[in-house]
Amino acid sequence: MGNNFAMLMDGFQTVFTPTNLMFGLLGTFLGTLVGVLPGIGPALAIGLLLPITLTVNPTSALIMFAAIFYGAMYGGSTTSILLNTPGESGSVITALEGNKMAKAGRAGAALATAAIGSFVAGLIATILLAFGAPVLAEFALTIQPAGYLSLIILAFATVGTLLGTSRIRGLVALSTGLVIGLIGADLQSGALRLTFGNLNAIDGIETVTVIVAIFALGETLYLASRHTIVKASILQVNGKAWMTREDFRRSWKPWLRGTAIGFPLGVIPAGGSEVPTFLSYGVEKALSKHKDEFGKGAIEGVAGPEAANNANAAGVLVPMLALGLPTSATAAVVLVAFQSFNIQPGPMLFQTNPEIVWGLIASLFVGNFLLLVLNLPLIRFWVMLLKIPSHYLYAGITTFALLGAYALNNSTFDLQVALAVGVIGFLFRRFGVPITPLIIGAILGPLSELYFKRSLQISQGDWGILIDGTFPKVIYGILILVIIGPLVWNFKKTFALKK
Amino acid sequence: MDIPQDNSIVSPQTFPYMVATFVSLVGFGLIVSVLRGKHGVPEGDEPGDPYTPLNWKTMAIVATAIGLHVVLLEIAGYVIAATVCFWGVAYAFGSRKIWKDLAISAIFAFIVYFSFSQGLNINLPSGFFEGILK
Repeated sequence: MGNNFAMLMDGFQTVFTPTNLMFGLLGTFLGTLVGVLPGIGPALAIGLLLPITLTVNPTSALIMFAAIFYGAMYGGSTTSILLNTPGESGSVITALEGNKMAKAGRAGAALATAAIGSFVAGLIATILLAFGAPVLAEFALTIQPAGYLSLIILAFATVGTLLGTSRIRGLVALSTGLVIGLIGADLQSGALRLTFGNLNAIDGIETVTVIVAIFALGETLYLASRHTIVKASILQVNGKAWMTREDFRRSWKPWLRGTAIGFPLGVIPAGGSEVPTFLSYGVEKALSKHKDEFGKGAIEGVAGPEAANNANAAGVLVPMLALGLPTSATAAVVLVAFQSFNIQPGPMLFQTNPEIVWGLIASLFVGNFLLLVLNLPLIRFWVMLLKIPSHYLYAGITTFALLGAYALNNSTFDLQVALAVGVIGFLFRRFGVPITPLIIGAILGPLSELYFKRSLQISQGDWGILIDGTFPKVIYGILILVIIGPLVWNFKKTFALKK
Repeated sequence: MDIPQDNSIVSPQTFPYMVATFVSLVGFGLIVSVLRGKHGVPEGDEPGDPYTPLNWKTMAIVATAIGLHVVLLEIAGYVIAATVCFWGVAYAFGSRKIWKDLAISAIFAFIVYFSFSQGLNINLPSGFFEGILK
């Protein structure tokens, strides 16, 4: 533990060089800028900004990413509150109460409790991340390939079935992602799979292209198809973005409770930032002395979910860094960012690249702090961004997404892929299929095959190894509980209702 | 990447077959669920919300704008491809100030082109402007 603290201090030393600090500052600025734009969540924000880091050294680039990551989270809450258009599922709840508060002329207080709550949650969660991730990584070194495979399958199951409203549609998204992940040369034998003779497809489909296209192009196509461009009205921020003593008194407990709910649900793959924010909202509503205010703009309903959302995002980084397993779209993009520098997150990361991983964690602290300082005073500037007419906004998003897809390999093939994936994204949105399982499937699919093959090589082809040992058994046990449990529960409920 | 001495233990086809089985099962499950009347509802809508018919025309314009970007990029260069794409999407989203939009599109494309090729050393096809801009 003491050693980790020293490492963290080294990390701060890495961050506090003028160059890296500048990249951190630029990251917070860009992250908030892109996050504020309606319809762009953190995952897309990082995906769009990925080409910017292509020519920067890995440490600076990842520091910038950490800053973009938190910046986009902050920016998203501003849009939810003032425009009532959440950029991602995690801010849906924030929009619910926050927008009501803004309509009642309390936009300043809503923005402040969101920003300070995010800061508090981010701070606590980053501390937990800094000391939890290395412990988990150390334990993870003892996990066999078969154990990893069981973890990935658990992640598939939770991400596939817990997101969105329809279980089967989550699995549809997951299987689409798995198929995308198969395209290209088999890593071990070199056999070409699903390339259909296209030479460009041998290296597989770029994950960044998939992410950017499915979010940006899918969203644009979908909005165009509905065409009823709602003239969303931006609510004004009267006075300063600050809270009264009373607001503070009502906010601090929800902040802490939100953190306590959000962080653990990020560490275990519980299916995105939606669940913790809903849970936090429910808890605050149940505990509040002002129950009548809920639905009309209760400050607790902004404070709790915003804290839960941020703590959740930091929690998701724990398995991402320590195990190399992303369980949210945002974590998936951060993983891709690592991979673009040929760094593979996982248990070895803390040993092979300590300066990078500790630099990253330290920059999460710094970025979090910079945001608090930047955001509240600059709120008027961010609000101006909301006034960009939607036709220019979507024109810009589309053009920039295509640029991101192209700049990675300078290949028009990637652009064709982007268009195809964009159409898939449109169809998914139209028919209520969640998107995150597709991304997780595309990223973790190849990884699961790798662990599958390694296991069978160790056992000389005996499939029994897949459930050999305590660890895989425990994980598959949890899997059965997670999947079967709700099914039995639902069945009982419908059965009872029919009676 | 470790290369196995013996590829016969797990053929490169094994895992794809597993995925194929999974895809078939899920596809079958989806068909059953749709036939039982559980239709997909667009994200953000509640089941039972009035159905908004799709506006294929605007969608086709956006898709064409993206397609033109793909085609024009290496023939005409980034600036022209991006201008066309930006303008097309803006038009699809209901903007009818054709000349003003064209100016904004071109300025946007120029700024992106310059900041990426000059500032970040990411080369984008220069097309017609080859030799003039550099």
